[in-house]
Amino acid sequence: MNEMSWPPQVPPPPPSPMPPPMPVGFSGSRSDFFHLVKRGAGLEFVTLGFYRFWLLTDIRRHLWANTLVDGDAAEYTGRGKELLIGFLVAMAILVPVYLAYFLAGLEAEHIQAFASIPLVAFFYIFGQFAIYRARRYRLTRTVWRGVRFWMSGSGWKYALYASLWGLLSAVTLGLALPWRTAALERYKMRHSFYGDLQGSFEGRGWEFFKRGWWLWLLAPIAFVVYPIAPFIYGAFKAIEWRWWLSGIRFGDVRLESSLPKSALIGLYWKVIGWIVVLGLVFSVYLALAAALVASMSGDAFTEFFTSQEFARSIPLLVLMGVGYLVFALAMNIVIRVYLSRDLWVRVLGSVNISGIEAAANVAARGEMANALGEGFADGLDVGGF
Amino acid sequence: MDSEASVPGTSILDGSAAYFDGASSRRRMVTLRLADRLEIVEGEQTLATWAYADIRRADSPAGVLRVSCLTAAALARLEVRDTALASELVARCASIDDHMIGRRGIATIVGWSVAAAVSIVAVVLFGLPLLADRLTPLVPETFERRLGDVADSQIKKIFDAKVCDNAAGQKAFTKLVTQIRESAGLDTSVQSGVLSSSIPNAFALPGGKVYMFDGLLAKAENADEIAGVLAHELGHLKHRDSMRKLIHDGGTSFLIGLLFGDITGSSALIFGSQTLVTSSHSREAEHNADSFAIDVMHRLGRPAKPTGELLLRVTGKEGKGLSIISTHPLSEDRLARMSRLDPPASGPPLLTAEEWKALKSICSAKI
Repeated sequence: MNEMSWPPQVPPPPPSPMPPPMPVGFSGSRSDFFHLVKRGAGLEFVTLGFYRFWLLTDIRRHLWANTLVDGDAAEYTGRGKELLIGFLVAMAILVPVYLAYFLAGLEAEHIQAFASIPLVAFFYIFGQFAIYRARRYRLTRTVWRGVRFWMSGSGWKYALYASLWGLLSAVTLGLALPWRTAALERYKMRHSFYGDLQGSFEGRGWEFFKRGWWLWLLAPIAFVVYPIAPFIYGAFKAIEWRWWLSGIRFGDVRLESSLPKSALIGLYWKVIGWIVVLGLVFSVYLALAAALVASMSGDAFTEFFTSQEFARSIPLLVLMGVGYLVFALAMNIVIRVYLSRDLWVRVLGSVNISGIEAAANVAARGEMANALGEGFADGLDVGGF
Repeated sequence: MDSEASVPGTSILDGSAAYFDGASSRRRMVTLRLADRLEIVEGEQTLATWAYADIRRADSPAGVLRVSCLTAAALARLEVRDTALASELVARCASIDDHMIGRRGIATIVGWSVAAAVSIVAVVLFGLPLLADRLTPLVPETFERRLGDVADSQIKKIFDAKVCDNAAGQKAFTKLVTQIRESAGLDTSVQSGVLSSSIPNAFALPGGKVYMFDGLLAKAENADEIAGVLAHELGHLKHRDSMRKLIHDGGTSFLIGLLFGDITGSSALIFGSQTLVTSSHSREAEHNADSFAIDVMHRLGRPAKPTGELLLRVTGKEGKGLSIISTHPLSEDRLARMSRLDPPASGPPLLTAEEWKALKSICSAKI
């Protein structure tokens, strides 16, 4: 501290090393995240996708650890190995389920052609179960101030709720969606805890409906005029995030979000722009690969392409496959940077927390849940963070 | 200022930090004493002592060192923001990063993943065909017949096809099928029929059903052409190819689905590789059915070449080289194979001219 006397006008650093409390902040650097997903994509390439369990974990660890609530950063304690085990166990369970599904479908078809189609509903219900259990896994791996979040409730009950509400939404062409979301969030939050602080959800379906009904009217137009689709979707997601966050309570801790409707539209356009650019690069690559293979085959160019030989050349197919894999992974990097990280930062930036004192002395409770739900979600291709 | 870690002298071993004991979310401002073990002190009271060897790094934002301890509560955390103190502490904890996945860990993951991928590919390429071969004979006929019934009603719905059976045509068709069936050594459980659809195709369903679309009859010029096609389809029945295909393709799509996972755009890759594998398997089955058909025709004393000509007429010239995504061998090659070693016709014609005419018009209204 020898420099302290010069220049004199600079005040000395505050004696407390703690920064002033801030409601919710994000401290992660974008280039760190980019590096993380870039490296992860490379490893996914090498491992034919098996690295996904560790990459997903690293993404969550980065986002959680840089999210600061009242000056304290959260922590994600899940590990890639847990996801791998969850996936393997889920596979072991899903194989007989698929087989039973096949046999049941066969019996149904025997009675009437295409009678097995309603059986797909079973997988919808199963998917909802997976979503609930996956959320429980993520929540129990979320730690703040040395106390974990956790979740009770029944995945099957939730799946039943979600499916009945889903049926109603389908019947009403999506008009019941706000009430569905509200009811399901109430169930999820009522069974979510931070230590001994019970969660709840105060968002009303009617509020969500009031903010977003005009999007429901515009949505059919998007099927004709594609360019407005990102605007509609972006506005919808922003409204949904804001409404959802503003409804979250843990005891007396209340969240409030002020996310503007337009906040996310730019992100979706950036993703689209990048995908177009990557698509162009991929096309150029394909053209070059085809030219290369054609020149090596010795035939004249036109002859090579008019005889359908180029569709049968194994080197060309291999080049195409590798090129496509690289293209898909690059696309994943773009999506993760914009729609995982940037979206996270924007949404967090809109959040204010009041009554945080209620979380100052919460007793730790709750057990860790296993990653089976995540495994099912992976096996059934139903999403989640 | 004298409590600051950076003040030179004795206090370099002390410093302040935030401590969460893992039992409550209370944040305690504590003093750290870097003695033989790490002492966490609040005021006068020592809250905990952690052995340096048990201290592990936990995730934290940049500029904060956050550590846990193996022997303390699982979620007990210590947060040090003072960089000097943090580096002092890290220097003492030899195993602080032992639990992290380092280069070795990544290499292990990559190694096992590659091994798993290789094993999946090997099972798909070599294991599944073998499995399908062994399992198919074990599947009860009744089950296969059920499958066939299901496929039957679906196909009739999809193609909006009806069974053609005007009396004269049906008689000729039955005569033709019976000769081939007997020569092929299949019993009377085989069912067959002509369906009204303009698509030039014929196919075998599991459980002993052979259908021919009217469109193929329209393209055919004599009974030998059709006989070879029927013999080919009976070959599929005899080899139980549809059951084998079901086991093989089901296994393939499941195993390949294990790869790639949640990568956006991976479905195209999965679909592509699946197509490659299943079509190669399908080409092999078609090749065997062709051999079977040639055999049957020769046993009847009839040439196989006309069938090859019919196939070429239906598909048109397919160009040179074999596409690795086609499900059937090239029509030119099939014709060449069928023409090869074709003896001159020694047996009687399978159908008389009138019967052939009747068969051709099996789907037209009653004559």
